[in-house]
Amino acid sequence: MDPLLLARLQFATTTSIHFLFVLVTLGLVTLLVYLQTAWAVTNKPVYERLTRFWGTLYLINYTLGIATGIVMEFQFGLNWSGLSRYVGNVFGAPLAIETLVAFFLESTFLGMWIFGWHRLPRGVHLALLYGVAVTAYASAFWVLVANSWLQNPVGYETRDGVAHLTDFSALLTNPTFGMALGHVVSAALLTGGMVMAAVGSWHLIRRTRDYDLHRKSLRIGLVTAALAVSVVQGFGFAQFGAVAPVQPTKYGDDAARTAAIADWTARFGPGDYTPPALANVGLGFMILIGFALGCVWLLFPLLFRDWIIRLRFPLYLMLLALPLPFVASILGWLAREVGRQPWAAYGLLKVDDAVTPMSGGVMLTSFIGFSLLLGTLAVTNWIMIARRAARGAEDLTLGRPLPDPDDTPDARPEPVLA
Amino acid sequence: METIWYALLGLFFASYLVLGGYDYGVGLMLAHRWSPVDRRAALTAIGPFFLGNEVWLVAAVGILFGAFPMLEGELLASLYPAVALALAGVVVVTAAVQLRSRPATAAARTRWDRVIVAGSSLAALGWGAVLGGLLQGVPLRADGHVADVGHLFTPFAAACALSLVALVAVHGAAFLAMRLPEGASGQIARLGRRLVPIALAAVGAATIMGLLSNRVRQAMQQPTVAVLMPVFLVTALLVAGGALTRRRPGIAFTATTLAMAAPVPLVAAITWPYALVSTVDPAVGLTVADAAASQPTLRLLSWLVMPLLPALLGFQLMSWWVFRGRIDGRTPVYW
Repeated sequence: MDPLLLARLQFATTTSIHFLFVLVTLGLVTLLVYLQTAWAVTNKPVYERLTRFWGTLYLINYTLGIATGIVMEFQFGLNWSGLSRYVGNVFGAPLAIETLVAFFLESTFLGMWIFGWHRLPRGVHLALLYGVAVTAYASAFWVLVANSWLQNPVGYETRDGVAHLTDFSALLTNPTFGMALGHVVSAALLTGGMVMAAVGSWHLIRRTRDYDLHRKSLRIGLVTAALAVSVVQGFGFAQFGAVAPVQPTKYGDDAARTAAIADWTARFGPGDYTPPALANVGLGFMILIGFALGCVWLLFPLLFRDWIIRLRFPLYLMLLALPLPFVASILGWLAREVGRQPWAAYGLLKVDDAVTPMSGGVMLTSFIGFSLLLGTLAVTNWIMIARRAARGAEDLTLGRPLPDPDDTPDARPEPVLA
Repeated sequence: METIWYALLGLFFASYLVLGGYDYGVGLMLAHRWSPVDRRAALTAIGPFFLGNEVWLVAAVGILFGAFPMLEGELLASLYPAVALALAGVVVVTAAVQLRSRPATAAARTRWDRVIVAGSSLAALGWGAVLGGLLQGVPLRADGHVADVGHLFTPFAAACALSLVALVAVHGAAFLAMRLPEGASGQIARLGRRLVPIALAAVGAATIMGLLSNRVRQAMQQPTVAVLMPVFLVTALLVAGGALTRRRPGIAFTATTLAMAAPVPLVAAITWPYALVSTVDPAVGLTVADAAASQPTLRLLSWLVMPLLPALLGFQLMSWWVFRGRIDGRTPVYW
């Protein structure tokens, strides 16, 4: 089989799986910061239990974020050694910064947050969570700087066919970066809000005894989703104006597109410089989903006097709408990434030259192997999250009070309704 | 500047072998016939450190990509099967340890423990094969590419892979002997001591394979340094075995830490000035200078990252300090 196609399929599959978990990580960590801060400020037990419940779900999800993320990092060297060779001097820098500064600290802080519960002072414990959140956003920042450079290479010069960095600030002011970052971050917040609202809705439908906790989940989730969807739509449309001038074959008009293709044909030889139609199909459906999710504002007035719960059907709506932000995100990434084909670095390096010259057999084994591994882990993880969410907040391991030194080995069970 | 970043790359990867190494070692220990309580205690022992340990790998590969882009592409691609094996192991371990206790039934948790054992083995085998692959060189052509991946499957690489598994097992046992409560610590120390002769045999076999292999002998740029590798590993293992017998797990752990860390600078020194030795045409090997990113990139990384290194190390040290000592009934349990 064609190694290039296999490498592209593997990248698309692994990135998509990775991003589905990244959305929830970024979204839930922000909501966790809110919950634990609310607990620290108000000292109400329901906020502590909310933090422990949503922290548990966040941690199960984070596992696959790490697992898929490590595969992403290695994939550049394994399948795309041409990328490293020809543009690695520029593209590698923001990725290196992300691993060293953002992810390194994020996991270090998170390990201490999980196991430091009741052992560290409350202020330190909260500060660790803030650290996790800030470094998570820093990760999103630097990864998007890297991806944006591939969309629109800036701040470089070419010597002997290899790109060298000349101006790092150009990477940060890249027109394909700023609006995209806002779009991705608000999409994550939207997803986190929808997840929180969906789990809360499920328990309210089932009339779980833990009414106050799940009602709060629904309300916090709904408000977050409503605010975020408007921001997502705003940043989404803003991107067209920023991206069209620098990516004419993606969003430019016919004149700009023809001019770009003519320029590339002159410099790189004849070839197919038009992206596949899949990109625009993805874009169209993503926008439709975006508008559908915008209807969450219609549920806003129902928060008054808990009509959203009493009417029952809005709960079912929130539950059924859960897959939508995930589907929209993958479609959005298809639009962004497929829309720049056949370029690995737009106008600079074609995917044919970026791929590792490896046999089709090795690529196929790698594609099947990693897709199966990550796919299986992903499905297992989602089932686990669903089961844990369904069990509710009654018997949580995370943040369980430490047994008194005078107690017998069998610790007292902690009260359910606090 | 390249040398400083090469040293940092080595430091981060060596730290990963030490820290991730005891995670995989403890994972291998789960294969021992233990009760569910004992297995959970072993995972509680690595608990607070587990997430912070694997970040050293991610950061090392980040440095590889940012500071040595030429090397990253050729190294990972030419050692593809070994890297993919190690990567699969790392992914499986990180998922299995974190998800292992989320189901409520003992049967499900036992199944996840078997996954942890499998993943730990894969990771150790993979990284051992990578180190062996670096020592035996790769068929790097003049255009900088490697023809295929069959070159990796040699007895020497296999022996290196098995050696790392054995070293990791002893390292994990030493760590548990340090962290488990006094009663359980004695049992695991005896297990660790029984593993030392196996590790010695594996290291010996790898040394013999290396001496017999034309390819390994020719790939060595600094043969005098190469002698240090088996000498150092054997000494460290003997010290560890003796310390475990004498109930001094701290000394044993220090010895196994040095045994896990030493291969990285030694491999780098043995192949110096090359980062990747070519078996096809020695002159075509990738030197550290050639593999490094250009000056503006290295300067940028230096300005952005070097000032933060104390903070990175500081927070890691904080986690080791806060959660120091043996685990007991009041240790938070999560994995």
